[in-house]
Amino acid sequence: MAYRDEAAFDLLVARYQERAYRLAWSILRNAEDARDLSQEAFIRLYQSASSFAGRAKFSTWFYRILVNLCLDHRRKGRGWRLWLRDEPDPDSGESLLDRQPAPFADPVDALGRERTLTKVWAAVDRLAPQQRAAVILQVQEELTTPEIAAVLKCSEATVRVHLHRALRTLKKTMETS
Amino acid sequence: MANHPETELGPYVRGELAPSERERVARHLEACPDCRQDAERVRALLTELGDSVPVAPAVNWGRYRAELRLKLDARRARRRAWWSRPLPLALSASLAGVLLFFAVWSGWRSPGVEPMTPEEAIIGRRLDLLRQYSVVERLDLLEEFDVIRSLDQLAGTQEG
Ligand SMILES: [Zn+2]
Repeated sequence: MAYRDEAAFDLLVARYQERAYRLAWSILRNAEDARDLSQEAFIRLYQSASSFAGRAKFSTWFYRILVNLCLDHRRKGRGWRLWLRDEPDPDSGESLLDRQPAPFADPVDALGRERTLTKVWAAVDRLAPQQRAAVILQVQEELTTPEIAAVLKCSEATVRVHLHRALRTLKKTMETS
Repeated sequence: MANHPETELGPYVRGELAPSERERVARHLEACPDCRQDAERVRALLTELGDSVPVAPAVNWGRYRAELRLKLDARRARRRAWWSRPLPLALSASLAGVLLFFAVWSGWRSPGVEPMTPEEAIIGRRLDLLRQYSVVERLDLLEEFDVIRSLDQLAGTQEG
């Protein structure tokens, strides 16, 4: 492989590695798998670079490869076991949000809020795969509805329905906890 | 009241609706206390979620890229072995056996990965992206201006 190719690939990896890993981890909730599958997405990218049509945003095209890999992985069931292994017990002191700063001064309120949010994020992980991916792409990656539709290869109307159903479930979780 | 714009409330609070759609939803909210309350709850939930995104465990990026490089080299070596080397039949067969062993072995120990979809492989073949460093650089013009500076540094160190 020519020097220029290597440099171009390295540049892409350096630009997208953190986003790719973070997104994979958000779907898989397992660091080792997130590393593995985000690396696999880069390999797919390398192998299919010539299929990038140039019409879509590059990141949308790359996210599509990555999200498909992650959803396939979880669909096969292996991801679910790993998820169970990694998932914190909502009632224990362990929390996915441990490293988040608590925005409230009142420690009781802050604790209550953190518990609630831990339950809500655990509920995100239990959503149907397309709903979960749509929520993560929206609130974490800050993609717009048309961009999410492009990543998930569905219509904007379908994305709206996914998000509506997901938010309905999450609102219930939030209000009952 | 009929036709509550349930699925539009999220896009509405995020400011994603087209003007005509936005106007229609706004008019509905003025007249429908249920949807108004619902829109506020959606707004609050999206804010809460956005502010509390769980943080992924830290990664050693140098090691990450080294691992990726090894995987890519292994994949390319496997491809070369399959396509381009004329080998005597017996050697080909044993090589296939070895590759099969490694495929099974690596498939067993790493997360299962689907073969590339035809779409991934075929869609365009118009833009030979990774063969052109300049194209990768031009991605800056298409999106994400915030990384240009760090890229320039990166490109500088790689070119130098
Ligand atoms: Zn209404």
